[in-house]
Amino acid sequence: MHFEGTADIGAPRERVWAFVTDPEKVSRCGPDVQRVDVIDPTHFKVVARAGVGPIRTTFALDVVFSELRAPDHASVRARGQAPGSAVEMTNTIDLADAAPGRTTLRWTSEVTINGMIASVGARLMQGAADKITQQVFACIKEQLEAPAAAST
Amino acid sequence: MAVEIGGIGHSVGRKEDARFIRGKGNYVDDVKLPGMVYLDIVRSPYAHARILKIDTSKALAIPGVLAVITGKDLVPLKLEWMPTLMGDKQMVLPTDTVMYQAQEVAAVVATERYIAADGVAAVEVEYEPLPVVVDPIKALLPDAPVIREDRAQKNNLIWHWETGDREGTDKAFSASDVVVKQDIYIPRIVVASIETCGMVAKFDKVDGQLTVWMTTQAPHAIRTVIALVAGHLGLSEQKIRVISPDIGGGFGGKVPVYPGYVLAIGASVLTGLPVKWIEDRSENIQADSFARDYHITAELAAKKDGTMKALRVKTVADHGAFDAAANPSKFPAGLFGIVTGSYPFEKAFVEVDGVYTNKPPGGIAYRCSFRVTEAAFAIERLVDILALELKRDPADLRMQNFIPPQAFPYMSTLGWEYDSGNYAGALKLAMDKIGYAGLRKEQVEKRKRGELMGIGISSFTEIVGAGPSKHFDILGIKMFDSAEIRVHPTGKALVRLGVKSQGQGHETTFAQIVAEELGLPVGDIKVEEGDTDTAPYGLGTYASRSTPVAGAATAMAARKIREKGRLIAAHLLEASPDDIEWKDYKYQVKGVPAKSKTMAEVAFAAYTNHPQGMEAGLEAVDYYDPPNLTYPFGSYICVVDIDRGTGQVKVRRFFAVDDCGTIINPMIVEGQIHGGLTMGLAPALYEEINYDKDGNIQGGTLMDYLMPTSMETPSWETGKTTTPSPHHPIGAKGVGESATVGAPAAIANAVVDALAHLGVRHIDIPITPWKVQQILKEKGVAE
Repeated sequence: MHFEGTADIGAPRERVWAFVTDPEKVSRCGPDVQRVDVIDPTHFKVVARAGVGPIRTTFALDVVFSELRAPDHASVRARGQAPGSAVEMTNTIDLADAAPGRTTLRWTSEVTINGMIASVGARLMQGAADKITQQVFACIKEQLEAPAAAST
Repeated sequence: MAVEIGGIGHSVGRKEDARFIRGKGNYVDDVKLPGMVYLDIVRSPYAHARILKIDTSKALAIPGVLAVITGKDLVPLKLEWMPTLMGDKQMVLPTDTVMYQAQEVAAVVATERYIAADGVAAVEVEYEPLPVVVDPIKALLPDAPVIREDRAQKNNLIWHWETGDREGTDKAFSASDVVVKQDIYIPRIVVASIETCGMVAKFDKVDGQLTVWMTTQAPHAIRTVIALVAGHLGLSEQKIRVISPDIGGGFGGKVPVYPGYVLAIGASVLTGLPVKWIEDRSENIQADSFARDYHITAELAAKKDGTMKALRVKTVADHGAFDAAANPSKFPAGLFGIVTGSYPFEKAFVEVDGVYTNKPPGGIAYRCSFRVTEAAFAIERLVDILALELKRDPADLRMQNFIPPQAFPYMSTLGWEYDSGNYAGALKLAMDKIGYAGLRKEQVEKRKRGELMGIGISSFTEIVGAGPSKHFDILGIKMFDSAEIRVHPTGKALVRLGVKSQGQGHETTFAQIVAEELGLPVGDIKVEEGDTDTAPYGLGTYASRSTPVAGAATAMAARKIREKGRLIAAHLLEASPDDIEWKDYKYQVKGVPAKSKTMAEVAFAAYTNHPQGMEAGLEAVDYYDPPNLTYPFGSYICVVDIDRGTGQVKVRRFFAVDDCGTIINPMIVEGQIHGGLTMGLAPALYEEINYDKDGNIQGGTLMDYLMPTSMETPSWETGKTTTPSPHHPIGAKGVGESATVGAPAAIANAVVDALAHLGVRHIDIPITPWKVQQILKEKGVAE
């Protein structure tokens, strides 16, 4: 499945860059994240719960920043498993200056899901994945635009 | 007299129903043994992947988990692979690569069923995904990834099989006036029996005895397979007892050996405890043997006047990752050679390529005697396409071409000797019963009003009762079957058979055969099947073979008893054996009906007063090697109405005329036909399993795998003609599968007929409302 979108964020590019490439911070915007273990600045493990239709399951994801070109381009690969299911994601993030103090974030996401979730929830998957990605980027925007965030 | 006996031709109430309707059947999952533990299976989420690592530590740490078995554990036992029935091999558990989604990866044994499931969730497997091939036609391309690296042959072709006269057929096509050609896909489906597969395995470490209770249609063959697979570990055949208790539907899905069975046995040997493994519904749909999945290109050559001359069929058969079909060994495409159907083609050529894909293995005969549904569907669709091409009525075209009754026994151009038939008789009866001429008039009027109504015919010929030992074997074991009859001193009888009922009513119908042959009331005859320690060896129940083969064995064994009984009767009546005749279910002195002895009297004498020099007792065994297959047939007519708004197809009427030769129990035959028709309706309109490009099964639960319920099923109308098989001892042909074989084409033909005036020639099944609606939109007639 392929997803893409654009978010207009009320924060300067450097700050957006710092946020989206910080494993701790960006992971917290994932759906129902239970745990983040940072192994090194480009490699971390995330445990998150996600649901598609009737199935709700815990994914253990191995995430790697495969490309980091500060402050405008990042590629992230994630591979993970849940009992009976497996997920693989390749995401790209491109940042561009918009109006002063504002950043345009363009993202793409290529998601492959195998196993139980893909077979049982096939008809619901596109919608569920769409919703999750929307939530992730809405969260990133919200975190960066929050007054508390601006002061950090 | 006859009614009292309850012999052949009587609608005797099913003996087995006494327990089934009370919920007192005894299925594998009802078997509970002291100390029994449970097995559950870790399955692959990927359709094709390398296994990098299996971490069992977290699973083993769960209290109650006794063991986790992986492929590596099976290597020292030489059990990681097992042979299939088709000369291929299949993984029990993979050591490095998985080849289809839901493939078994590891097994967890635990003290409770739920703990076993927790253990499955806790096993961590690291995979490296590999390229996936789900389309068998793409799998044959030179650059396709090779699925079976373990084979010497580095491509995905399993086998090529062909039959018939290629050059002669090509010549006949060149010389013909008309050729019609159609690509037909018969989708992958599963049998979806109410009871899933399962086993209780009990290995006794002291005496090395293995007892398994197992959902199998062929218990004896399974015992031999276990001995062949695990004989090197000390499981020799006399130490193996296979018990097949009540079965909640088989339909071919309980013929193969699944890895779960081997794992349950292995787990019992490992733990020394009885182990139960029962599939859940999703596992049953996702991993068990599928049926169909034939990509057919069929061509028919005819004369302008409609005379059919030649048939050419090319098929790509998707077998999944292992060739684990359940055909007789010499027939990799089953009895697909019956594709010439009810018509006297002068020439035919058929070729099939078996292909590996990243899908579950199988290719079983889902209620259709080895690829006969695929064949019947192809020919009956093609005949309708020819009728359309020639602007002929499809009934009329069939009547013109049928093999005539006087031509039987008829040798088909593909080498099958049809035993008997009256195809025109069956079609005429179906047309009369349904009012064919009136329906055609109604259709004309409805078309004028823009209403969509169609009439579809299927005049199929089946080929069942495998089979003669000259050609038919499974793993070298000839496809005979057996019956053993013991008549007790008080005139009651015990019948044991090598076949195994899964709902067919054997306890009743086989008792009826014995009742008829021996003159004992049907209620005095007990039929037992499914225990290899007691039943005579047989190849099991599938391919409508029980009545043609074991039914014949039963009649022959009974006749052996009757012959011995004649000598005893002569002794009792103080007459010469030559003067004793069997008449009105009794032994009589010829011409002196008053001097007679019943079978019960003779049986008593067999144990209390047998003639000097004769062995005591009254028992017989028969191993019957059928001289030929049997060829049941029928003509079905289906009437459909199509909703122009939704594309919904409604089966308004369906009249089925079947001819299965001599009928043992008309009620059971009617029930078989009703069930079979519903199982023919299912793939025609509803059922299909397909896969996305990554090999994810679509339709892996009953939420997505649409089975017709009583709400979708029309009220079936049935009729019969009776053309006995000349070579079967009682003239019976078998009926278990006819309706499943014949129905899909009748329904598909009806739908195409409803849309033919719009230029529609073919629609692949299942004919879903969505497909029809797309066509209606395209033709500009959607409401």
